[in-house]
Amino acid sequence: MRPILLQGHERSITQIKYNREGDLLFSVAKDTVVNVWYSVNGERLGTYNGHTGAVWCVDVDWDTKNVLTGSADNTCRLWDCQTGKQLAQLKTSSAVRTCGFDFSGNIIMFSTDKQMGYQCFLNYFDLRDPQQIEDNQPYVSVPCSESKITSAVWGPLGEFVIAGHENGEINQFSAKSGEVLKKVKEHTKQINDIQTSVDLTMVITASKDNTAKLFDSTSLDHIKTFKTERPVNSAAISPIMDHVVMGGGQEAMEVTTTSTRIGKFEARFFHAAYEEEFGRVKGHFGPINCVAFHPDGKSYSSGGEDGYVRIHYFDPQYFEFEFEG
Amino acid sequence: MPSVEYDDSKPSWADQVEEEGDEGTLPSPKETIKGNIKTVTEYKIDEDGRKCKIVRTFKIETRKASKAVARRKNWKKFGNSEFDPPGPNVATTTVSDDVFMTFVSNKEDLNTQDQDEDPMNKLKGQKIVSCRICKGDHWTTRCPYKDTLGPMQKELAEQLGLSTGDKEKTSEPEPAQPAQSKTGKYVPPSLRDGGTRRGESMQPNRRADDNATIRVTNLSEDTRETDLQELFRPFGSISRIYLAKDKNTGQSKGFAFISFHRREDAARAIAGVSGFGYDHLILNVEWAKPSNN
Repeated sequence: MRPILLQGHERSITQIKYNREGDLLFSVAKDTVVNVWYSVNGERLGTYNGHTGAVWCVDVDWDTKNVLTGSADNTCRLWDCQTGKQLAQLKTSSAVRTCGFDFSGNIIMFSTDKQMGYQCFLNYFDLRDPQQIEDNQPYVSVPCSESKITSAVWGPLGEFVIAGHENGEINQFSAKSGEVLKKVKEHTKQINDIQTSVDLTMVITASKDNTAKLFDSTSLDHIKTFKTERPVNSAAISPIMDHVVMGGGQEAMEVTTTSTRIGKFEARFFHAAYEEEFGRVKGHFGPINCVAFHPDGKSYSSGGEDGYVRIHYFDPQYFEFEFEG
Repeated sequence: MPSVEYDDSKPSWADQVEEEGDEGTLPSPKETIKGNIKTVTEYKIDEDGRKCKIVRTFKIETRKASKAVARRKNWKKFGNSEFDPPGPNVATTTVSDDVFMTFVSNKEDLNTQDQDEDPMNKLKGQKIVSCRICKGDHWTTRCPYKDTLGPMQKELAEQLGLSTGDKEKTSEPEPAQPAQSKTGKYVPPSLRDGGTRRGESMQPNRRADDNATIRVTNLSEDTRETDLQELFRPFGSISRIYLAKDKNTGQSKGFAFISFHRREDAARAIAGVSGFGYDHLILNVEWAKPSNN
């Protein structure tokens, strides 16, 4: 396969996300620009300009109308997807680490960092009520005093948010009351990324403790563990195969002191049921910070510390490959 | 593959010579569409002041998509891409080099495990060591009869030595050696076996070894010594395997030397394995050239 290289960022990529149909790919990085690309040929549709700090997170709603981004400039912004115009700006007291639309696209959530003397908060806004945006007053705001949220996604039916914490905990926060519905601690270190399966029944967590784990999203039952020898920065579940892709590598600060040949900057493919690795794809010059499967399962993208996003269309061999357990 | 494919071809020297005459004016870019292939020819002056001709070839593909996706495909570009022409902009989108998914089949891992177990299983049946005292399956020093049988045997041997006399000693120097080793005194290799091999150097042996050495190249990075052993064992007994490895990573550098005990085995190995597909690569096997030192 010949990956399409997207060079829209000047610093390391922090998150990439496909929209529901998979025709658009959103990428954010530690520079201030939010890019959107056509996934089919890598053509850049546009940029959402306005942030003044590193952008940590991006999400797009179900019908690709609005885009939500959170940044270290202490704002969470809502954009019109088609024109790139800023629709709303929500000021916070610390950096916005995670954000997301619920399935309806009506309710948004975002979490802020524990920083500069401020606590970590998980905020819920209802976009149908313009007053909330105007007053910058969330209808529910959950303080997390113990350990800050490092990654979060909406659970099924928009009832709760599944959040991964710096200490390895996973919590379900109700979208109605903000109370903790379930709590598990299967990871020993920070959870870098959480992604859902296509039907939202499962979530995969990627952790600094060198593993990625698969959970039932409602019961938070631990289903599978995928072990590597490097911190895992991101993991995604294939929508059509029993496969999981993981991206990682050693920490950015150690990159300059290790030879690239032992850097292990590959994207690694694991069989979801057997928990065993069956394939690797090389390409990035640094650790992979985020991976995402196209919703049709025929391609995947990865964004790295090297600032590039690579779109990979799988070769036929990938689909013919049979795992021998 | 996605719909873009382009290659930047270098300007030929002929074009450059031709254009040297009219300095300053550049031919206007041309765009031709032939079937589903679009060719864009551009001219520009590079940093060194030379004129370059850039030819890009695009493949135009028509795809069916849902209405929502098709509508989005016609959206106007915005932000930093506002003034980009239709189609991918080379400043932001490029097609990178071919990469392949390397499949990790754990069949290989299983094989190496089997192989590790194999020699032990084979050896189970036969004695590895035999005791000099009781001929048991253990080292002499560990013999349970060391204190009882040992001295008795010594006495017996001494008695025999006395009774049989010097005749045996002169005709056969062999028994002298075990007696020597028993005393624990070091005997240089050249003096062993009654010193018959005195003056014989190691060199000829070594050369014989070189003669039965083959060089294997185009090995994959993941090759280990055990893989080579497994691959070449069927051809005959191997005296030495040298696999060149990277100092830092411990990964194979892609070549190895394998010495067989017999030259015929080496010849058969060359015939058998050269051109053999191993780990997605085609092996190249030939006689090793004698080393210079």
